[in-house]
Amino acid sequence: MLNPYRVLDLTTERGLLCGQILADLGADVIKVEPPGGSSARKLGPFYQDQEDAENSLYWWAYNRNKRGVTLDITRSEGQDLLRRLARDAKFLIESDNPDTLAQYGLSYNELAADNPGLIYVSITPFGQDGPKASYADSDLVILASSGPLVITGDEDRPPVRLSVPQGYLHASAAAAPAALIALYESHRSNRGQHIDISAQQAAAQATQSTILAAPLNDAETRRMAGGAKMGPLEIRLLWPAKDGHVSIAYLFGSAFAHFTKRLMDWIYEEGFCDKEVQQMDWVDMGGGLFGGDPKTLEDYERLKLIVEDFTKTKTKEELFQNALDRGLLVAPVTTIDEVVESEQLESRQYWTAVDHEEMGKAFAYPGPFAKFSEQPIDYKRRPPKIGEHNAEVYGELGLDAQALAELQNKRII
Amino acid sequence: MAEGQQTGSENNQALAGVKVLDFMWAMAGPGSTRILADYGATVVRVESTTRFDAVRMVGPFQNKQPGPNNSGLYNNMNTGKLPMTLNLSKPESRDIIFDLVRWADVVTESFSPKAMREWGFDYESLTKIKPDIIMLSTCLMGQTGPHSHFAGFGNLAAAVSGFFDPTGWPDREPAGPFGAYTDYIAPWYNAAAVLAALEHKHQTGKGQHIDLAQAEAALHFLAPFLLDQTVNGRTQTRMGNRDMNFAPHGVYQSAGEDRWVAIGVETDDQWRSLCETMNRPDLGSDERLATVKGRLANQDEIDKAINAWSNQFSPYEAEEKLQAKNVPASAVETINELYEDKQLQHREHFVDLDHPDFGKTTVEGTRFKFSRTPAQINPVAPTLGRENQSVLENILGYDEERITELVIAEVLE
Repeated sequence: MLNPYRVLDLTTERGLLCGQILADLGADVIKVEPPGGSSARKLGPFYQDQEDAENSLYWWAYNRNKRGVTLDITRSEGQDLLRRLARDAKFLIESDNPDTLAQYGLSYNELAADNPGLIYVSITPFGQDGPKASYADSDLVILASSGPLVITGDEDRPPVRLSVPQGYLHASAAAAPAALIALYESHRSNRGQHIDISAQQAAAQATQSTILAAPLNDAETRRMAGGAKMGPLEIRLLWPAKDGHVSIAYLFGSAFAHFTKRLMDWIYEEGFCDKEVQQMDWVDMGGGLFGGDPKTLEDYERLKLIVEDFTKTKTKEELFQNALDRGLLVAPVTTIDEVVESEQLESRQYWTAVDHEEMGKAFAYPGPFAKFSEQPIDYKRRPPKIGEHNAEVYGELGLDAQALAELQNKRII
Repeated sequence: MAEGQQTGSENNQALAGVKVLDFMWAMAGPGSTRILADYGATVVRVESTTRFDAVRMVGPFQNKQPGPNNSGLYNNMNTGKLPMTLNLSKPESRDIIFDLVRWADVVTESFSPKAMREWGFDYESLTKIKPDIIMLSTCLMGQTGPHSHFAGFGNLAAAVSGFFDPTGWPDREPAGPFGAYTDYIAPWYNAAAVLAALEHKHQTGKGQHIDLAQAEAALHFLAPFLLDQTVNGRTQTRMGNRDMNFAPHGVYQSAGEDRWVAIGVETDDQWRSLCETMNRPDLGSDERLATVKGRLANQDEIDKAINAWSNQFSPYEAEEKLQAKNVPASAVETINELYEDKQLQHREHFVDLDHPDFGKTTVEGTRFKFSRTPAQINPVAPTLGRENQSVLENILGYDEERITELVIAEVLE
């Protein structure tokens, strides 16, 4: 769908996902790395634990469908080449600190002078301006300053993050629709623009709007093992099963009552609660629960113990199968190996083989993020090796073998 | 019609002229059409007064008062849309919906696949009245497969797609990410998918159907762990706040009750700066700790030293001292402190809306900035059915008599 467009992807690990989404959608994405390779190539895990720039599974995860070139944009010859590449590009994505590319004469204004249609996407921890714009950053810095960290984890230990870094993934995924909004607009105006993505603001979405509690004058959300506390209300999302855990949305009120009723019917059928509990008014309880009524909150705690006594007698599979059959808000907590074996994902042929031809092997990658009826996402290219497409891409600019050899000798590429 | 929503010439926003009929509910779907509305798309958001969107009854609530118009979460996902109520059990509603389909470029829905077929609103039926319609169907597990009819919320998709297990402490049960985690990821992908389909329509004149499974899109946020499984056969799990590539990397004690500072050191230079800040030249010159390999092998010792230093300072003092030396560090801000965060304030992250009962309420703004066609947020709370009249009159061109008949027949409820 984006086949007519070229994308120059200058990002580090902060922004790789944006270019990959555009590449999956068909754009010709050229990953521009410094000679020697991107810093993202140093990130593990590694193929068979062999630490090599070509073996980083982090690199593999976010660079398929891209072509790869090397270019030293800190030197003037490299900057000239980038300017030439940018003349024919529709998008440029970068994730350097604010003003870094400007030092190299590669700011939005400078590149747009030659190519007014260019959409220039900057992904940074805190955005292009403001008191924290030049902060030293890492995943934890983003999560600590945007909310998801403080509301995750056990009460008696420090707040905790998901063990796969998430902060920049939110930012670089947000950058994809932003770039495409600008593309839509550019058909009307024939002009591009500069898009400024803040990882802090993108990751704040992972607070589920609880970040609004202060301006709304509602109770502050706090962390709780396997759930969260919203004021006096303890929302429990993790429940024991015989062989692990399940997650349940165990809530009341008009939106949840029918699900809760069906769960309580099953619990009653199996003799884990009496008729009086089964026939409680789950709609009515919603107001008390969300309104913080002490009696309702007490009832809620009592009911949770009944549910827990019940779920721990069942396997994850039994609980999930009944959720499917009865329409319950219950799902198994799957481990990473179980995810890869999921019957649902298999039936949708989710896992997609990507051929690493030089290794004589194909590996199963997480599949297309959506199924498009007109132009399905196709995994055409494995992630590029360092400088793999130098000759091809610079050749398209008219550089011959001799010119390329010269640039290589000077370590520009 | 409200300001910023005109489809005529005054609307110079990026997505001016894009018309969306939005049947989605909760967060993953509405979060994506919120992005489109911020940039000028006209989004008609259909609910019914009896079965309104579940998140209208999920907090935080304005002034702690639960009620369908008072939810910060609902407002945050739906600001800028045209909220309309329809009783889908009335035959007249079908006519209105078909008229809206004829008007729309894009129809979005997040029901289970069966529900849309039963109403006759499935893609095939809609193409009969609007051949070039773009339809986004997004549910938890996708339109096909044994779990396709599993309905629910993002906490369930997060559990079943492996986000719970790798969140928490290795010696404890999983803590799980906060709330409905995949709901915070899916909006980026849903919006990108719709925009890519609009681009395809721009090029070819053709619409299409998009099947976006929330669980499948979200898995890209776990891709490095998933590849470690499919490529190396190794099952990764939770590791607290530690990182496989960097050390020290953690959330450390601050002065005060339950206060913390997050520090993620990514380079040897940052490590030496950290030691300097802590006034620990012995650690800074310790050859065992000079490289990341050595630090990864001695994390307990390092973490102890950092805690002994950090617990003397407030989280903000530690952040200031460390950032002054270019060490990636941030106070772990509480949810309520985020409203006062100087960077979020600078970026105008919070936006006030007019509210009929409270005078004002607050939502988050956009998460990115456009240099030429900035977002314009319609500053009015999306209360139930607020735009019934304007949608029927201005968008569909119904006359007053017909609208009155619909009101009397209780169709607009």
